[in-house]
Amino acid sequence: MYDKMNEETIFSINEKLTQELRRGVLVLATLSQLKEARYGYGLIEQLTRRGLDIDQGTLYPLLRRLEEQGLLQSKWNIEGSHPRRYYAISPKGEELLQALAIEWRQLTQVMQDLLKEEG
Amino acid sequence: MDLIERYVQAVGRHLPHKNRADIQAELQSTLVDTLEAQGAEGVTEEQAVTLLKKFGSPEKVAASYWPEGQYLIGPRLYPLFRMVTGIALSVFVIVQLVFLGIWVAFGQKPLPTLEYFGGLAGSIFSAFGAIVLVFAVLQRLDVRPETKDEEWDPRQLPAIDEEGSIRRGGIVVEITFSLILMAILLLLPGKIGVVISPGAQAFLNPVIIRYLPLMIVAILLGIGMDVILLWRERWETGTRIGKVVLNLFSIYVLFILLAAHTTWLAEHGVTSLFSILAVLPKIVDASNDGFQVFVMQAFRLAFIVALIVTVVDTANMVYRLVRRLINHPSSLILTT
Repeated sequence: MYDKMNEETIFSINEKLTQELRRGVLVLATLSQLKEARYGYGLIEQLTRRGLDIDQGTLYPLLRRLEEQGLLQSKWNIEGSHPRRYYAISPKGEELLQALAIEWRQLTQVMQDLLKEEG
Repeated sequence: MDLIERYVQAVGRHLPHKNRADIQAELQSTLVDTLEAQGAEGVTEEQAVTLLKKFGSPEKVAASYWPEGQYLIGPRLYPLFRMVTGIALSVFVIVQLVFLGIWVAFGQKPLPTLEYFGGLAGSIFSAFGAIVLVFAVLQRLDVRPETKDEEWDPRQLPAIDEEGSIRRGGIVVEITFSLILMAILLLLPGKIGVVISPGAQAFLNPVIIRYLPLMIVAILLGIGMDVILLWRERWETGTRIGKVVLNLFSIYVLFILLAAHTTWLAEHGVTSLFSILAVLPKIVDASNDGFQVFVMQAFRLAFIVALIVTVVDTANMVYRLVRRLINHPSSLILTT
């Protein structure tokens, strides 16, 4: 098997897995930054500023899904140069964020230990 | 900006109907925001093109808004689809083979073989198509089968799969019998019949003599199949398909033999399976004709039994093959 695996496939596997890792933390990142209402592009800017580059094509469908699940609330705001949809975390989303944050801290701790052993 | 509007419209064509307008409005707003951030002093077409390329093709963007992805039959429904297809196609093929058996054994007219098998293949595709259609509609309506997380007992797991193993002894016996039968057919064609009484003329079975080459071919193919099985040491998809095809050919040959016997018997006054009783008095008379009819009737009964056995065996093979292909679709590629 291994001899068939050239650099190109390793690269694409790496890219795919990195994407999956990022996608996994995206919900947590998004919920954490929506304590105050933000519109899509504003949220992307905020996340980028804090060091998390995010694909626009991934974020917008995610926002809608989170809203359908009742974790976010949204409303159109017609002030400004054109209408914008603002998203904010809902009480249910707050609850989930707390739980996910605890889980995340435990997980990163464990992963750090595991990777330390590796290194 | 014209390009942005064209893009939003193109995305809309692939969006779920329910939220289309809303998603389009948000998309437009987002694109305008992004462009504005790049330069408030008016945006060049070049910038718009770069942005839209970065966003991705309209189909790709729209696809990300489909909650479960765009499937004809999605992962939730697929296990159920596989099960229903397996059951339906197996039942269909078995019923068809039983009907074929009945037709061949008792039908008055010869079977139009080519049309029959062509029609059978067509029907299988139609049945499969109908099932796909039903599941595609269920998928479209977002019907979700109940997922039961039942208590299960690992001790109830089926034994390790040995259905692929062959019975060497059985195959060797089969080859031996086939060789003996072939030797009889080749060496003693004139003796296939019965000598009624010492000194009387031997009766030749005219049907067997006429179809001798066809019978030899069927037997040779059967021996070839058995040799391949002994060589491969286990059943594989290729050999299973080969065996089914071979069985269908045997059914065809048996059918021809049966039909020819029926025609011969009809010419000699026997029109039904049981009217042999009518000729019994003649046999008692030991008249040559009466005995011939009796022997031909016995041959016919033997062929009917052989036909039923082959049809049941074929149905069983088809069932296993379909089940196997549905459970392990990759086996078609891996083992042929």
